[in-house]
Amino acid sequence: MKKFVTILLVSMILMSLVSIASASKVNLVLWTKEGEEPLDWNKSLVAEYMKANPEVSIELVKKIDVEVLREDFLTASLAGSPPDLLWTVNDHAGPFVAADVIEPVDNLFDLSIFVDSALEAVKLEGRYWGIPISNGNHLMLLYNKKLISKVPEDTDELFAIGKKLTQGGNYALVWNQTEPFWLVPWLGGFKGKVFAEDGVTPTLNTPEMIATLKFIHDMKFDAKIIPPECDYDAADTLFKEGKAAMIINGDWSLGGYMGVLGEDLGVARIPKVVATGEWPKPYTSGVYFMLAKGLSGDKLKAAQDFIGFVASREKQIEMVKLLNRLPALKEALKDPLVTENPILKGSSDQMVVGTPMPTVLEMRCNWDSMKPEMLAVLTDTKSPEDAAKAMQTSVEACIKALK
Amino acid sequence: MSLLTPEVITGSLSQVGSMVLYVFLGALVVEVVVYFVFGKIFKSKYTLPYMLLAPAAIGLTLLVIYPMAYEVRLAFTNMSLRHFRNYSLSLAQGLQNFKLIFAEPVLKQVKFFPLLSRTILWTVINLIFHVSGGLVLAILLNRRMRGRGIYRTLLVFPWAIPQIVAVLAWRGEFHFEYGFINVMLQRIGLQPIQWMVDPFWNFVAACITNIWLGIPFMMIIILGGLQSIPIEFYDAAEIDGASRWQQFRSITLPMLRPILTPAVILGTIWTFNNFNVPYMINKYELETSDILVTALFRAAFEYNRYGFSAAFALVILLILFVFTLTYIRVTGGIKGVYE
Repeated sequence: MKKFVTILLVSMILMSLVSIASASKVNLVLWTKEGEEPLDWNKSLVAEYMKANPEVSIELVKKIDVEVLREDFLTASLAGSPPDLLWTVNDHAGPFVAADVIEPVDNLFDLSIFVDSALEAVKLEGRYWGIPISNGNHLMLLYNKKLISKVPEDTDELFAIGKKLTQGGNYALVWNQTEPFWLVPWLGGFKGKVFAEDGVTPTLNTPEMIATLKFIHDMKFDAKIIPPECDYDAADTLFKEGKAAMIINGDWSLGGYMGVLGEDLGVARIPKVVATGEWPKPYTSGVYFMLAKGLSGDKLKAAQDFIGFVASREKQIEMVKLLNRLPALKEALKDPLVTENPILKGSSDQMVVGTPMPTVLEMRCNWDSMKPEMLAVLTDTKSPEDAAKAMQTSVEACIKALK
Repeated sequence: MSLLTPEVITGSLSQVGSMVLYVFLGALVVEVVVYFVFGKIFKSKYTLPYMLLAPAAIGLTLLVIYPMAYEVRLAFTNMSLRHFRNYSLSLAQGLQNFKLIFAEPVLKQVKFFPLLSRTILWTVINLIFHVSGGLVLAILLNRRMRGRGIYRTLLVFPWAIPQIVAVLAWRGEFHFEYGFINVMLQRIGLQPIQWMVDPFWNFVAACITNIWLGIPFMMIIILGGLQSIPIEFYDAAEIDGASRWQQFRSITLPMLRPILTPAVILGTIWTFNNFNVPYMINKYELETSDILVTALFRAAFEYNRYGFSAAFALVILLILFVFTLTYIRVTGGIKGVYE
């Protein structure tokens, strides 16, 4: 018994000594929304930085998706133990600024070195709330050159080509049918918007939304060119396995698809909507560092240094090479690696017809309202008219509850 | 996946080591204080029981009583995203929260009473199948037969595996194209079902999963009860010419009542408050598949309506409390404990 108690006490003291030893370092916690290849890049950045700066320790925590990151960060902030840094999307700025859980970055970094459009996406109440890492984060049409040689220019061509390609368990087109992020490009193509001119009044029950919902319904039930049920993972897998000729996915997936398809990967704009003559308008923003409220002293210095390291020209070019994402640093955008890369050319060609993603808090309500109704239309359990009406009722109730 | 390197081990130890040490030292301090206060100052003869209970009492206070008290306080605030740190606390705000629960949609469209009705339906359906399924299996197992131990082990399996693992596995099997349920349906000539996106079938999918998970618990409880019924009762009944059904109705069921009552109460509360199954099976967040607790979770953590959700939680607590008291009184289920 005595021996057991002695061993136990000694282990406890050793464990706490280890803890004290690590407490002499500056410890930062970084939550990231990235997965797969981008996450590997996150890990290598952290490892490289820590090797060069042994007095700093960065704990990288991956969150399964952006919604989990948002919910967990708010919960952790409420509990008084948030992570120090976030690597996340711009529309998180809305709820985080409303809850006052992140720091503005105007006075902490020289923002003039970054692309204006990337900065605009995190501007709220006259201040900037994130440091851009990449520019874009937008959807585009990716295709397998082995399965399709000429991409459709417009939606009529998409349906015509799609009908020929969809057979024997293979599909012409796949996309994440469960998230409204994939609906909004088409809404833009039908000249619709989720907010009125004031940027906070929702406009979901509109002829444009009805036309958009009817279009995706027709894509599934009339043209039958997309799978009966398809979430992000299913779409991604079908495309990687060569069972889908085209996928609508974001720039975050380019690195992964390059790894699988190599030279057979093509990038193009999402086909033009024939009914309006407009290109679909995917939301554009980027990926950002955000700082937890109250970050100060040595931790703030270490965070600034790490962010400077990631935003350096060298690392931005590395990101271009590894992930095929457009850099947020102005200097890196001029590099021939960017200007002469066909994948990035296709990506930026899509981005120019995109539209900045709203960051206001009310956008959360739009997303939550569009999601179930979009699903209802895609399962043929609601008409586009009823779905649009329900979206509007739902978003108004949500915004009222926010007050 | 990282290997178990010395860095990983020391990193993990450094994270938990100091906390474990503080807890250990804290418990020692508590024991010493209790010993001196009750043993030396008050010279109480219950010093040892108090010393043994003290750490658990402190743990329960910190982990159960304090959170509940905080919850009650939160129910009287307007804490939300716009009032995250600078929320107001007042009786009027609390009453407003309670009013909102019944007057406005809890999430986007669904209101409280339809949600309550759906939760009651969910509970009743699951409980009926849990109790009847558990009873049938218990009766079958309560006989002499070869391999009884193996059957019992296999039948307990759904209860033994972690619930999240089981639910996620079931969710995979409800996949429209590749899940085995739709594959089997197509093999027998039926149309595949949209389990994840159709409101009705998503609810059915959650019920199927929860029934599969819940039968073993009832089976074990009832089996224990069956084995405690003296065989002489059945012998006497047989001599008196009672049929199997009469024996079941007149001996088995009444003798099982003191065991079934707490089991049904527990089953009702667990099913009413079941979060994992309805939340995980409802992959696409259909509001039509939400029950009270999943709606509460979404209201709190997806819509960040903390004050409102705390009030909502108290309403659910009240419903279950009233149910428990009523059930015990009506069934007289625990009369046998006192007689």
